Amino acid sequence: MSDISLVMTFSLVLLALYLSYKDKIGLEKELMISSIRAIVQLTLIGFVLTYVFHWNNYGLTTLILLLMVYNAAAVASKRGQGIYHILRISFASLLASLVVTLGSLLLFGAVNYQPSEVIPIGGMIVGNSMIAAGLVFNSLKEKFQQRREEVEIKLCLGVKPKEASLTIIRDTIKTAMLPTVDSMKTLGIVQLPGMMTGLILAGLPPTAAIKYQIMVAFMLTGAVAITTFLTSYWTYKSFFNEFEQLRQL
Amino acid sequence: MYSSENINCIIADYLKTMWIEVIIMMPLLELVDVKLEMLGKPILDGISFRVNSGDVIGVMGSSGSGKTSTFRIINLLQSPTQGTVFYQSKDTLTYPPTTLRREIGYVFQKTYLFGSTIMENLTYPYQLLQQKPNFQEITDYLNQANLPENIVTKKINELSGGEQQRIALIRSLLIKPKILLLDEVTASLDEENTVIIEKLIRDQNENKNVTILFISHNTKQAERLAQKILYLEKGKVSYYGSKNEYFIEKELQQ
Repeated sequence: MSDISLVMTFSLVLLALYLSYKDKIGLEKELMISSIRAIVQLTLIGFVLTYVFHWNNYGLTTLILLLMVYNAAAVASKRGQGIYHILRISFASLLASLVVTLGSLLLFGAVNYQPSEVIPIGGMIVGNSMIAAGLVFNSLKEKFQQRREEVEIKLCLGVKPKEASLTIIRDTIKTAMLPTVDSMKTLGIVQLPGMMTGLILAGLPPTAAIKYQIMVAFMLTGAVAITTFLTSYWTYKSFFNEFEQLRQL
Repeated sequence: MYSSENINCIIADYLKTMWIEVIIMMPLLELVDVKLEMLGKPILDGISFRVNSGDVIGVMGSSGSGKTSTFRIINLLQSPTQGTVFYQSKDTLTYPPTTLRREIGYVFQKTYLFGSTIMENLTYPYQLLQQKPNFQEITDYLNQANLPENIVTKKINELSGGEQQRIALIRSLLIKPKILLLDEVTASLDEENTVIIEKLIRDQNENKNVTILFISHNTKQAERLAQKILYLEKGKVSYYGSKNEYFIEKELQQ
């Protein structure tokens, strides 16, 4: 792909901008900022990764993974503005998701702790976990607002906040996990996902690319499940105060 | 002749009786200068009143006068901005919330039954109290509330609004509260069922010594059921006293 072809693909973002403007969606500013951020961040990371892959240092690799988790946590917590300790909860859940999933892959010998392997894989784990965490925050906020009365009626019966929130927590976990489950169902039929596409474009035979993609699908399922469970069960508490009263959001 | 030891015993006994009397005289529930502000707006403006064990109090007032907010504060669903609520002479904020809420039951105007069957709702209180379900007790309540016994096998959405309200009330009664806060629980019932529910409420008061506070817009219902009337106006108590005096005063005004 030539650089000019790449610049021309930006017209697709312009199309999105036009649609948002025409239909008064109000996403123009965010779209503009996001696409500029994508260009700047990816260019920078391209240079950084070249250096990191070359240097191949454990500490630096770990630091990059931690930075990824922090950034993702900051983005996800924006979806839950107003929730107590939101950044702390996001960071801890995303970190747990990364440690368990990546740790398992390392343990099973599916990947090696080398920057060229764990950074892209870690990125996928953290990115997908971030989306799941955002969905959880959004859904919890919405449901605690809509179903306030249901929760309070349960509290009135002398139920603990956890029990009073259980149906909301379960619905939220479902909401946040369904996209991952659905995308697994359509893998290969509707979508040839990023990693596989990348490997095929890079010249790897599709049969070899598939092996990685199956691993990625399983890994993301695990990562999303860990994130949604942890964020849901940690976040519901923030909706209550010390007197087990539902806070006003 | 009394020895000094005997006299001491007599005095101690006397003091003990006095003390018991003091305890008996203590209100079960007391609100002292309770204020509530929400978003900078005063909702309750210095509410004070005492409730004795066994009282049946009709809480009246136009909408927005603070009736539901008062109930919410008593049940600790909300903390007052200022002032204190005492339950059995202890600040309600010092109780474990679940303990307090089991002793002070609260039935909302809007009903919410959970799970899928009526049975789930009626066995839930036992589960909560870590007891085996007492099906005889459930059946007795169903009879009292004029509901067929086989209603327990029904799904929630098969019940009418009035039936759901009665199930919600029974669910709260099964927790055996000492005080029951009822927020317009007969609003969605017809006259026949209203009378049945009133009888059930009266029975709780007379035979189980449950203290009742009920919000009602229905003056006739207040007249039938209440011993005392608490009338709220713009977040303040404008009348609190015996029902008879309230209705005499009201008649005189007209």
